[in-house]
Amino acid sequence: MPRSRLKLLRVIAALVVFTGLTAALVDFRGLVPTALGHWLASVQLVPSLVALVTGASVSLAGIIIIGVTLAAGRVYCSAICPLGILQDVVARIVAWTRRKGTRSLPYARPWTWLRQLFLWGTVAGVAAGWSGLTLALLDPYSNFGRIAADIFRPLVTLANNAVAGLANAAGIGTLYRVEPQWTGAGALHQPAILLALLAVLVALRGRLFCNTLCPVGTFLGLLAQRAAFRLAIDKSACQKCAACLGVCKSQCINLRTSTIDFSRCVACYNCIGACQDRGIGYRFAWARQANIRPAPTAPDLQRRAFITGTAVAVAASLGTGSLLLAQVQKLRANRARGNDRDQNEPEPSNAICPPGAVSVDRFLERCTACHLCISACPTHVLQPAFLEYGIAGMMMPRLDFARSFCAYTCRTCEEVCPDGAISLLELADKQVARIGEAQFDEDKCIVKTKGTDCAACSEQCPTQAVSTVPYGRNLRLPRVNRDLCIGCGGCEYACPVLPAKAITVTGLRRHSQAQKSAEKKAVAPTPAGGFPF
Amino acid sequence: MKSRREFIKTGLALGATFSLADLHGLFAADASPGGGAPAIPATNASRSVLIAVRDGSRTAMLDKAIAELGGMERFVKKGQTVVIKPNISFDAPPERGSNTDPELLGHVVTLCFAAGAKSVSFFDHTLDQWQRAYAASGAERVARETGAALVPGNDQSLYREVAIPRGVQLRSARVHSLVLDSDVFINVPVLKHHGGPLMSACMKNLMGVVWDRRFYHRNDLNQCIADFLTFKQPALNILDAYHPMVRNGPHGRSVDDVVEMRTLLASTDIVAIDAAGAKMLGLQPAEVGYVKLAADMKLGTMNLDNVDIRRFKLA
Repeated sequence: MPRSRLKLLRVIAALVVFTGLTAALVDFRGLVPTALGHWLASVQLVPSLVALVTGASVSLAGIIIIGVTLAAGRVYCSAICPLGILQDVVARIVAWTRRKGTRSLPYARPWTWLRQLFLWGTVAGVAAGWSGLTLALLDPYSNFGRIAADIFRPLVTLANNAVAGLANAAGIGTLYRVEPQWTGAGALHQPAILLALLAVLVALRGRLFCNTLCPVGTFLGLLAQRAAFRLAIDKSACQKCAACLGVCKSQCINLRTSTIDFSRCVACYNCIGACQDRGIGYRFAWARQANIRPAPTAPDLQRRAFITGTAVAVAASLGTGSLLLAQVQKLRANRARGNDRDQNEPEPSNAICPPGAVSVDRFLERCTACHLCISACPTHVLQPAFLEYGIAGMMMPRLDFARSFCAYTCRTCEEVCPDGAISLLELADKQVARIGEAQFDEDKCIVKTKGTDCAACSEQCPTQAVSTVPYGRNLRLPRVNRDLCIGCGGCEYACPVLPAKAITVTGLRRHSQAQKSAEKKAVAPTPAGGFPF
Repeated sequence: MKSRREFIKTGLALGATFSLADLHGLFAADASPGGGAPAIPATNASRSVLIAVRDGSRTAMLDKAIAELGGMERFVKKGQTVVIKPNISFDAPPERGSNTDPELLGHVVTLCFAAGAKSVSFFDHTLDQWQRAYAASGAERVARETGAALVPGNDQSLYREVAIPRGVQLRSARVHSLVLDSDVFINVPVLKHHGGPLMSACMKNLMGVVWDRRFYHRNDLNQCIADFLTFKQPALNILDAYHPMVRNGPHGRSVDDVVEMRTLLASTDIVAIDAAGAKMLGLQPAEVGYVKLAADMKLGTMNLDNVDIRRFKLA
């Protein structure tokens, strides 16, 4: 039982967020309500800021996190950030496996230049128009999402299948086997490498990732350094017993100077409970005659770093916002201009992004590749891209019609997306959102090559954009009505022709709108009332 | 899905009874399913019976048809395991006519239990995502309300490879173990237009008990559909023709594709019942490729003049 009430609150919050998000991301049976995953992802800093800045939603979570950080430090990093909490879980496992108990980490100086590099790098990446990939690589929530969805999910599925086999043999019927969904190596290597790196860093240096590589940690650290309330050591009470050092994961407690580097403190509150002398606690630091002063050894350096950092952070948020807005406007203008040309020659896209993404460019700007939609997709048509979108779209979800197709009545990806990369469309709008276009090559079609009936493509087509017309001797050949096609991929998926399918869907760089069929009520094929036999 | 327990038990029990090598055992069981009804009608010995009922509620029409066929007890004996194959392949509500109506399906289950069935299971190897199709078709609700087992059809491990020695194109297939292991096999499809072979009814519905549907499409769809019947025929076929989808099938686009005909057909002769279904869609039976092929292979009667058709109007 934690001896600090703050720690208790932190642990409860962390458990709720971590359990909920992990459940949503490893959910291989579609049991977790989409709202839960969406909500827990929406309160994460980066998705919330992306949604706010792009105008996707009035998401205030990011502002609140910034406000809390300015008030009391990096509460986000230990209570809400799933990647931070994952490191605490890994630390627990490491501690269990170590024979000699927990290892205490001594104070270490911050790697200020490296922190700044990653923060600036993020800002530069976003400013250069690579916001999606940059945030995908560096946002801790999105990184956690990929670790959970791409690595944990198939493993949990395998475990389920093992248990399901035993349970069924024992007469329990609530479990069933589910085909594990493996991510291709092209997209899997990044979360795999990160997970390995995290395990090593956590085992050797605690939360070094959060305090060196994570730009969210650095950004919040800059605010925390200036927070109204900061954790501080009461010099009069401190016996220099170093019990706090034994439990600190951030190596930010300097006993020589009796100071805490609050920019690196992840607000886990372990030290508060560990101190027998009640020597560590929150102090109001905005008072004119603050008791707590910066360490006398390197005041200038820290101060300078802070001032630069804050300036950068403010500039970054403003810059990111305006740049994103400018890009959005540019895109809108492009779209408006391109509309006339659009009707005749839509620009094809090698990778197909989901309905609600509006365009590949908009999608790659906003999606941080958290893979929540990939986990939630009931047909598993959403798969992480490797280079199908190009480098800027690595790991972003794309529709893989070799694996499945987009369900006509489904809006799950739109419902879970936390940052508005996939907008929530009305079902009627989703059902005419054209993400691609079917192309039929009759020279490959079974009906023509073998002279036998097939119609697998038409069988699957929800809009009947693919229908059939009489052909040869009592056969029916598929025909595509481009006006009705939404590019769901049902036809391509169903086509039995090997090795290259006779009907394929080409993605559209900018989504457009399909028409609704204007067919009238069907008439009876036989006289009403009796039996036609 | 508590039913799965039953299914596993049955599987284990039957697995012990029939070894895979002993396929003739299965055929023997087929020849007189439920201990009496001829699944494969003898060519001349007796005429196939086709019950056609109109203008009642689905349950009333089913009751009439089953009574005319000698009651469900003729097909389901006390303590037997029953597998029903409905068409619940599409993520579309009942009014669209893409799937077997849930009210009808539920009533078939009820009649099976009333006849003393130990367990009743149903499943489909769906075209749309299986959970969405099971939910939208109403099948999930039927299972909940009747106590039948709704078994996943998308799980490859539930299918077993069987030889189909009399098949022309389809020489082997992976078939759902429920179909292989249950005592009684009942087919309850919906009558629909189909963009390929023009009609989907009883014979086409049996594609949903096989794992590799694409093999059919690649290797002469009509022949494969007919070939499957040489391996296994349902003991009873009940065709839901209450509001057939007369165009844009088998998926359908909207409720505008269905026409109300308020009819139900039932027969032990799968070719005869499909021939009658074809007529209802305004087709000649021989126009539907697999109906003609199955008739040529003497798997049933296509010529309705040679069928004992009993017609009933309930209103």
